[in-house]
Amino acid sequence: MPTDSHGLSRIELLQGTLDLIILQTLRWGPRHGYGIAQMIRASSHDVLQVDTGSLYPALHRLERQGWIAADWSTSENKQRVRVYTLTAKGQKQLERERSQWEQLSRAIGAILAPPASAERES
Amino acid sequence: MSRRDDEIQEEIAAHLALAIADKMARGATRAEAERAARAEFGNVTHVAEVTREVRRGVWLERLGQDLRYGWRALRRTPAFTAVATATLALAIGANSAVFTVVNSVLLAPLPFRDPARLYVVSYLPTNLPFEVPPGLDDRLYLEYASHVKRFERVTGYQRQELTLSGAGDATRLPGALVSASFFEVLGVQPALGRAFTHEEDQAGNDRVAILSDRLWRSRFNSDQSILGKTIVLDGITRTIVGVMARGFTFPAASDVWTPLALRLDPRNSFIFPVIGRLRADATPEQARSELEGIALGRPQDPRSAEPRSAARIIPLKDTVVGKTRTSLLVLAGAVLFVLLIACANVANLLLIRAATRRHEMAVRVALGASRGRIARQLLTESVLIALIGGAVGILVAFIGVRALLAMAPAGRIPRIDEVHLDGWVLAFTLAVSLVTGILFGLVPARSGARREPQEALGQGTRLVGGPHHRLRSVFVTAEIALALILLTGAGLMIKSFLLMRSLNTGYDATGVVTMSVNLPSIAYPDAGRIQAFHTALVERLARIPGATRVGAVSFRPMEEVGIMGDFWVEGATPFPHGFSVDKPTVSPGYFAALGIRMLEGRDFTPIDRAGAPGVVVVSEAVAHRLWPNERAVGKRISMQEPPGPNDWLTVIGVVNDVVQDAQLVPHSTIYLPYLQTNTPFFMSQMTFVVRPASGAGQIAPAMQAALRDIDPSVPAQDLRTMDASMMDTIAEPVFQMRLLATFAFLALLLAALGTYGVLAYDVTERTREIGLRMALGATPGTVLRMVLGRTAVLALLGAALGVAGSLALTSVLTKSLFEVKPTDPLTLVAVTVVLLLAALVAGYLPAQRAAGVRALTTLLLHE
Repeated sequence: MPTDSHGLSRIELLQGTLDLIILQTLRWGPRHGYGIAQMIRASSHDVLQVDTGSLYPALHRLERQGWIAADWSTSENKQRVRVYTLTAKGQKQLERERSQWEQLSRAIGAILAPPASAERES
Repeated sequence: MSRRDDEIQEEIAAHLALAIADKMARGATRAEAERAARAEFGNVTHVAEVTREVRRGVWLERLGQDLRYGWRALRRTPAFTAVATATLALAIGANSAVFTVVNSVLLAPLPFRDPARLYVVSYLPTNLPFEVPPGLDDRLYLEYASHVKRFERVTGYQRQELTLSGAGDATRLPGALVSASFFEVLGVQPALGRAFTHEEDQAGNDRVAILSDRLWRSRFNSDQSILGKTIVLDGITRTIVGVMARGFTFPAASDVWTPLALRLDPRNSFIFPVIGRLRADATPEQARSELEGIALGRPQDPRSAEPRSAARIIPLKDTVVGKTRTSLLVLAGAVLFVLLIACANVANLLLIRAATRRHEMAVRVALGASRGRIARQLLTESVLIALIGGAVGILVAFIGVRALLAMAPAGRIPRIDEVHLDGWVLAFTLAVSLVTGILFGLVPARSGARREPQEALGQGTRLVGGPHHRLRSVFVTAEIALALILLTGAGLMIKSFLLMRSLNTGYDATGVVTMSVNLPSIAYPDAGRIQAFHTALVERLARIPGATRVGAVSFRPMEEVGIMGDFWVEGATPFPHGFSVDKPTVSPGYFAALGIRMLEGRDFTPIDRAGAPGVVVVSEAVAHRLWPNERAVGKRISMQEPPGPNDWLTVIGVVNDVVQDAQLVPHSTIYLPYLQTNTPFFMSQMTFVVRPASGAGQIAPAMQAALRDIDPSVPAQDLRTMDASMMDTIAEPVFQMRLLATFAFLALLLAALGTYGVLAYDVTERTREIGLRMALGATPGTVLRMVLGRTAVLALLGAALGVAGSLALTSVLTKSLFEVKPTDPLTLVAVTVVLLLAALVAGYLPAQRAAGVRALTTLLLHE
């Protein structure tokens, strides 16, 4: 039985971040809810584990906003699943959020790792 | 919502299934996999719940916001809100009122058990000279009733009027003769007592009666022990065996039912309507061919020269609703037009309002509201207006229905006592309000949201024209076109009405009062006694002070019944094929009393009685038809086929033709003297005609008193002026005319208001431009002409479209119009002129204001 206990504490996601992650995940193609959760977990090396109580409301909200589209189809093992696809609008939104995120993370990165000169000046 | 819920549940189930499959693929047992998957997933109910909230919450929250915002916006502009909601309340209310009638009369099922299976059965000759209601003759009915298989059961009935005496004043009651199976076929039961038995449906055992709830309450004080008591109907004492439930009055507005108890007459047959309850597994077509089979299977009547009869199976509701369908649908169409005009009006108001709110909307866009959100906001506002309008409209409908019922001609609209506001009407009003709100809100919402923020935020920018300007013009043009169509309809009906009123009827109705009596066969069993009554009453009426002429006739003009038929002409004159004449029985002096002119020969006199040579008076049309180039007086005809030597009647006079019924065309008539008639059937119902001297005052009470002197047990019927009878005959088109005229007036008013509103706004919007023109030398006259010119362009365009629409649509009125074509050019010209004048009046006020603009002030004010 596989285990995810690497001793690392799981990180809780902010709402805006979850949206970004979902959109990013769907860039690689349509996926159902379970698949999205697995993918997030796998691509974050098991650090990020999405709570279903956040994932599904987020999926339905993104769908309402028109950033992703949903449709029913059948999975490889004959399970009827609701599959989400990134829309053109979602694609644009992803780019926007990505750049915002990059700005934010650069800014936070700058704050957390200040150059020695800056520290001296202040 | 619940489909959505199911989807969320299924999605969660799929998630779990996939997780379990994954874990089992990695070697876990099913039980372990299930436990782990559930633990990983968390609380299923909770996840479903929060996901659902996402779907529902956003929508509801936004709607709530929009509604609150819309309500505040409406309250900020109370004048606009009042005008818009009042317009809509009137239009929606009028629609709900008409729908109430349409729903109760046309749409609601008949108040019987499983009414869709009830059909009227008819087998009648197809080539009769007049229209006959569907029915079977008595012999075929008996044959059919005992053989029919496609119907569970059939039943016959015949409407009748009876005189009720012995309980208060003698009165005439509408009622029906019915087969024993009548109530069973309809699926109704007496509230008290029982239906008729088959024994009571036999001649001789039929002295029983069933009362309506209405009669039982009004005449018998809701007497609980009424069963077994007796009443006297047409002089016959009958035992009351039942009282029907409240509201049951079929056929028409019956108050009393007696057994049909058929007596076959070897010489005549009796035709009456027959209703059947179709078996659940049978189709009307099967029933029709079965009827045809039974009818053709009978031994042929050798006297019958009418081989062409048609078997018909007609849904009962169609025969009950009858001709009313078309006129009600026309009214529904007309009132819908009023609603469309109101919509255009409110849409224009909204466009104008949107223009004044440009700034507000621009700010919202600039603050990040999406176009869709703004469009939705504007749409919410318009739907809110429509809903308020609809709510007030329910009140309008309530009053409107009462007004409609008060205006409706008595007894002409079927099922009128079933008309009432109900849940369907409320649902209809709600639906109409929503659709209306979306309809008139859509265009302003779309264009309101499209506005660019920079354009509106820029201070002092004044756009002349633009998309709104064009849209408003389109709406005004459409309003004018719709109003013109309604006006044309009303105009046609009014012209037709005027033609009816000025119609040469062939008689002179001035002041003439008529009174009908129906002599019961118990007290008046033979011709002698009937004639004695008539002679006595005519003499008594002649003694009334102020009565100048008195006469009697078996059926007067403008009466719903009549006797028609053919006759035999002496000599070589061939009888015209298909020629059929009215055959009223009259007293001496009848022609003078009704103002029918003697063109040739003489009137009947008391000498023309039984035993004297048989005589007749013919009308002009008969004389022309039979003896085109000869004198009619002296010619002989006969009512017997073939005539014996004593059956010949000599023509002693010719009178002008008279209009007899609602068709309003002169009839060919042969008048028979009542003293030479020996069939009670032709005389027992008689109408007495009194022509008073001018200024004689009320003569009707004296006529009633005269009747009481002769026989107090005979009630006076239809005591009224000849003119009232005429109005009653044309009551249906008059009703339609009044309603159409009301709606057309409303449409005209709304269209004029709409035109005014748009032009007034135009002028306000263009004040600066006008001021500039003035400064550059334009005179008030040019400005006035400019605004009026624009009005004229809109009105002419609308009128042209309206005329085209009228030509396409007014043919629905064909059947209601008398001697007017639906495309009557004069009417079209007249209503176009009226409409153009109304538009110019509407345009004049703003034009005058524009002309009053002072050059300098406006320029200064706006800079």
